[in-house]
Amino acid sequence: MKKITETSIRLKEMGAWMTLILFGLGVLLIILEFIIHRHGETKLEDIPLFPAFYGFGAFVLVVFGGIILRKIIMRSEDYYGDN
Amino acid sequence: MAITDLTPGLWMMLAAFVVPFIPHHFRQIVMLGAIALSAMSLSAGAGYHWIVPVLGQHLILHHADNLTFPFGVIFHLAAALNVIYGWHERKPMEHTAGLAYAGAAIAAVHAGDLLSLFIWWEATAVTSVFLILASGGERAKNAAMRYLLVQVASGVLLLAGAAFLWQETGSWWFGAMELGSVGTWCIFLAFGIKAAFPFLNGWLQDAYPEATVIGTVMLSAFTTKLAIYALARGFAGTPELIWIGAAMTAFPVFFAVIENDLRRVLSFSLNNQLGFMIVAIGIGTELAINGAVAHAFAHIIYKSLLFMSMGAVLYRVGTVKASELGGLYRCMPMTMVFCIIGAMSISAFPLFSGFVAKALIMSAIGYEGLVVIYMILLAASAGVLEHSGIKIPYFTFFGHDGGHDVKEAPVNMLIAMGVASIFCIGIGVMPQMYYQILPFAMEYQPYDGSHVIGQLQLLIFAMLAFVFLMRAGLYPPEIPSTVLNADWFYRRLAPAILGPVMRAGLSIAGSLDGMVIRSARTLISGARKMVGLPMAGPVVPGPAALVQISLLTILLAIIYAALG
Repeated sequence: MKKITETSIRLKEMGAWMTLILFGLGVLLIILEFIIHRHGETKLEDIPLFPAFYGFGAFVLVVFGGIILRKIIMRSEDYYGDN
Repeated sequence: MAITDLTPGLWMMLAAFVVPFIPHHFRQIVMLGAIALSAMSLSAGAGYHWIVPVLGQHLILHHADNLTFPFGVIFHLAAALNVIYGWHERKPMEHTAGLAYAGAAIAAVHAGDLLSLFIWWEATAVTSVFLILASGGERAKNAAMRYLLVQVASGVLLLAGAAFLWQETGSWWFGAMELGSVGTWCIFLAFGIKAAFPFLNGWLQDAYPEATVIGTVMLSAFTTKLAIYALARGFAGTPELIWIGAAMTAFPVFFAVIENDLRRVLSFSLNNQLGFMIVAIGIGTELAINGAVAHAFAHIIYKSLLFMSMGAVLYRVGTVKASELGGLYRCMPMTMVFCIIGAMSISAFPLFSGFVAKALIMSAIGYEGLVVIYMILLAASAGVLEHSGIKIPYFTFFGHDGGHDVKEAPVNMLIAMGVASIFCIGIGVMPQMYYQILPFAMEYQPYDGSHVIGQLQLLIFAMLAFVFLMRAGLYPPEIPSTVLNADWFYRRLAPAILGPVMRAGLSIAGSLDGMVIRSARTLISGARKMVGLPMAGPVVPGPAALVQISLLTILLAIIYAALG
């Protein structure tokens, strides 16, 4: 069991680092938005930070959509009885 | 006739006949040789290279142009990668089936008429089913039979459509069509089944994850992309495809979030990727068709790569259920790196292949002013990041430690994944070279500030959403389960409704059958007495065979109606 604990600790550390890196990148992208002129394929995309908000929102929507879908169509692993 | 005039893929199908009899390592070399020999035919250039007259018509067995070429190249490349990826496998079944299957798909791409297309179309079905059967066990056998029925149904529709079209136009030449007649709708539906249109997609997520480690990688490359090719040739600019494609990009994303089997997650993801291509085919402009082809090409490589990495995990750990995996970065670091390269490619990170391919499609949609479609596909891109970019690598290699202590993937698998990774990055870094292979010449620059910053914002903030949901405890846990899909209609609903009807029908048929069998027995025993030799009794076919026979009977009736 010792090995599992060690790996678990290391995974937690990596998770913390990854979060930090992502926050850093996020801040950098917000700064770049106001330095580099960005225009999209559609007018909507020209709204400042539109892709950032849209990406965050779409991701949350997809996950919540999944959670709702799970309530409707999730069955036991042996639903079709051929496991 | 020059050797390059032969249909590409033919050598591979011929080689498949001898492959089972060749010893293990030598077999893989022969297979690579057959693929190389087949690829030589790609050098024949545009034109009609091999035409066989049949019944006053012509079978165009080798037709090549700017659209067939990129598909020919990528199918050969995928076939070669599969040979390397499966090198460790000593049993011949998957190799034989895989080589013939790839050959049939390549030949189908080069069919210039609908009858030749039909022949290879069905050949891909009957060869690839063995990749699922090779898994062994009742579950795989049942999935294989369902897969075969759906694929054969697609072929039957294609042939029926060809017959109707022949009646209307007097030709079965395969070119651009317009929806309207019964014939074109039949063909459209045939392509739609293989391209996994919404509600016709059940077979894909049902069958692919049940195939063997190597089999799923093979399956992921050919069948659906053959359908994409066929749609691009036959139905480019068909507006119906835009909404069908958009639905395909959106719906599978939600299923992928809650699916526990990671190879099934990738199958939903495959469906979503096809959606992008189908939207582009529906738009039909030169830029859009280039986008569809570029996306198909890049997708075959990164999707194979992702399936290869999950295959390697399945091979070593024995499962790809997210609820049982985690922490594998420690023992399979190289597989992890390759998986992340595939994940970044499919998520369309700049400098990876998905970015330079998807940019074409998004621009083509933008130029047409289809804002709603554009926004659906943009949201679907965040969904792709969710299931293929994050879920697959995170739950396999990181997440919670699953406590597995296994070896790194076999060296042949690592080589195949390494080569695929090189292509993923190479295409992303040198897009102009890549764009040369596309059907239409174009000036397009994917790497400008707007594209790169916009895409990075989308992806990084979507990843931050993942971090937020995980930390807030809102991300749904992985649960061992069955997620109902379109196959439910024929696995549960249809039997529930039709079951009683069928049983009643069968009992009537049974009594008739008894009469038939009794009279057959009388006949046989009579014949035996006359000839004095033993003869076989009547054989009762299994349900799968019965359905196929009925399909073919219906087809025969349609053809009679069409020709009569």
